[in-house]
Amino acid sequence: MFTTGSKLLIGSAAAAWILAAVYGIAQGGTLGSIGLISAAIALSLLAGINVLARDSNVSANEPAGFGASAAAQSTARPSLWPLLVALGATTMTLGLVTNRTFFTLGLIAVIAGTLEWLIQGWSERASGDETYNARARDQMVDPLELPVAGAILAAIVVYAFSRVMLGLPTKTATVAAFAVVATLALGIGTLVAVKRGASKTTLGGTLSIVLVALVAGGVVAGLVGEREIEPHHTTGDLAAKNECTAEETEADEKASQSVASKSNVTAEITYKDEELRAKVPGYNDNFAQLTLQRSNPSNILFHNESDEHARLVIELHPATDDNGQPLGPERVCTALVESGGSQLLTVVIDQPSFVVEEGFAFTVAGSDAELQVVVP
Amino acid sequence: MSRQVTQPEKVRTDLIQTELPTPRSGGSRLRTAAFGLGATALLASCASDAPQDTWAPEGKYAQDIHNLQWPIFMIAGIVGVIVFGVVLFVVIKFKDRGQPIPEQGHGNALIEYVFIAIPALLLAGIAVPTVAEVISLNDTDNADCVINVTGQQWWWEYDYPVDASNNICGFAPTGDAAPIVTSGQMVIPVGAKVVIRGTSRDVIHSFWVPKLNGKRDMVPGRVHTWNFEAEQPGIYAGQCAEFCGLSHANMRMEIVALDDADFQAWIDNQLEPYQSPEAGTLAATGEQTFISQCSRCHQIDGLTNADGELVVASPEQFVWSGAAPNLTNLMTRNTFAGASWDLLTEDCRADVWEAPPAEFGAKYLEGVTKSCLNEIDLKEWLRNAPAKKPMYTDPESLADTDGKTRGMPYLALSEDQINELVAYLIERK
Repeated sequence: MFTTGSKLLIGSAAAAWILAAVYGIAQGGTLGSIGLISAAIALSLLAGINVLARDSNVSANEPAGFGASAAAQSTARPSLWPLLVALGATTMTLGLVTNRTFFTLGLIAVIAGTLEWLIQGWSERASGDETYNARARDQMVDPLELPVAGAILAAIVVYAFSRVMLGLPTKTATVAAFAVVATLALGIGTLVAVKRGASKTTLGGTLSIVLVALVAGGVVAGLVGEREIEPHHTTGDLAAKNECTAEETEADEKASQSVASKSNVTAEITYKDEELRAKVPGYNDNFAQLTLQRSNPSNILFHNESDEHARLVIELHPATDDNGQPLGPERVCTALVESGGSQLLTVVIDQPSFVVEEGFAFTVAGSDAELQVVVP
Repeated sequence: MSRQVTQPEKVRTDLIQTELPTPRSGGSRLRTAAFGLGATALLASCASDAPQDTWAPEGKYAQDIHNLQWPIFMIAGIVGVIVFGVVLFVVIKFKDRGQPIPEQGHGNALIEYVFIAIPALLLAGIAVPTVAEVISLNDTDNADCVINVTGQQWWWEYDYPVDASNNICGFAPTGDAAPIVTSGQMVIPVGAKVVIRGTSRDVIHSFWVPKLNGKRDMVPGRVHTWNFEAEQPGIYAGQCAEFCGLSHANMRMEIVALDDADFQAWIDNQLEPYQSPEAGTLAATGEQTFISQCSRCHQIDGLTNADGELVVASPEQFVWSGAAPNLTNLMTRNTFAGASWDLLTEDCRADVWEAPPAEFGAKYLEGVTKSCLNEIDLKEWLRNAPAKKPMYTDPESLADTDGKTRGMPYLALSEDQINELVAYLIERK
């Protein structure tokens, strides 16, 4: 009544259920019970499938079907996937002693190789029809393989290209390289569109050459290393180096003199005619005094409407720790703003005004202009 | 044979019909559910105590929104009834009764034009006044009164800046002008265009007092302005309308509208110099307890220590948002802990909230008296704040915030210390 394979699986499933019950009652261990019950469910499922499939054997009443049955096919053909699994296992081992990334890549290779090998083995014996088997494999794997392969290819292209761009010695060279690559891409695309008769081989060969060249370029650029990228100084650097004076610094030379998309600021402070005036939301008047909330970042937009370069500065009088060390920067300032220019300054004051004897005030370096700040 | 089989079955059926209740049909259940739902909606709409009713505006801006939403709601309702009616008619009229499929038609220019034109006209009719109203609501220039509103987990801080004319909200203080900092209740003058400049110290919050205006998000690093104008003296309730963490539901706010004379009195009272409790009293002991236990985070303006030095709170060192409520005039407010609990007992609260407009100001300005103090909630709060209002204060789980709490931590105060603090705080007005 039952085939040999079915008997084995039914027996194993029954044993697993009995073991799970005995273990659960006698030991009460959660982990062990979960494992045994899982095994019992899996074996029961397999047993059920096998009973229905009768060990993939054709019925004994249909001897003519034996030759075409899946079970009658030769064993699966040799495969390259075990090679990937072996490579992955080696990489994993290397990763254990060198770098975590190698371990992760090796693990991915082992999992991918094992899955592909399993599916290949299954598909080649799915039926007696090789065409059907190949289609069955494609239907199962293509939805996964194609997006993953596409993503890997895109990542390789982007990464290699980015290495090339970072490795080029000057900004001009990067612009030129970008123009060349863009022109090539456009040229090849146009050629393909115009010359519709181009063979797949020609097209594949061309793209392969481009890809290999790109990867080679990326490898070379990666080995040479990135060009030295000069960091841009910020207003925070200016304050840290105590460069909030009227003197122009290197950072000032490169500072942007316009501010884009800065809406909803706490106040706009304008420097004009040796005076500082604040415009705050809600009021139409300009103020000679500004109220800022304590311990809250306040964005101030500074406009220089004088004829000279100007830098907005504020002393923060930060609270100190038990050792008398300040808990924050002592002052912040904008870069030197040219006439007609604007800059944003973010201010955080952590002390109320009544604590600081001299009070808080925005000033312009090298000028007597002052705008009182009240911190409640 | 067949008679022998059918006979007992018939008897059984009779028994069921006579002795057992008839099972309810699917249609009956549906009707009951619909009735229940309708009755619930009807009863909910009859709520008498609904301080945050969006359909009961009591200020200019809320009224403007109301004037817009009513006709839109009506139009939407009529369209809904027509659409459902037509669908119902079609479903019943053309129900499949085995009749032949009628002749299929394709394309009727007139019907298509009409069906495009009607929704387009309806949408245009809704869009034009809506856009105009949105622009109008966002006009926050020419304010009579400007108040800075700052949200943080889970309370609101209000500070009143001094304007270019040395006024606060357009009112000249009797004494020296100085910014006022308060929390929980935002006090405004009746009939004045009040513009709030809102921001946040930690996450995004939303300021919403439905009877006076719609919602406005408060975003860290940005200042968003919003208008309020109250028609009558009174208290208007609201709550944070943007999920902001564990105690979002406990982040409430109240706007208190006072007439001009009462608002002037409120400003003058807020700016009065600090008065130390009488020496030797329980309140005087409470002052020392406050300095030792509370003043690291909570500021009381003018409070000095035994050496005569001003006591300065440093909430930025202990609290993630960098702020804790200023308690200088705590008992001039009716609420505490993010306006989630009343400082007034139930009766006294009702006396203030339900006072006629003409009497409201006087009752509110009376503040919290000893006989009206809600000691139970206040003491529970002092005993174990995180147990009363969920907050992130467990010292073992503050690694992400450099050991700083989000909310008031458990202070392990003794009952004596709690009594001392209550005696001290009741004088803060």
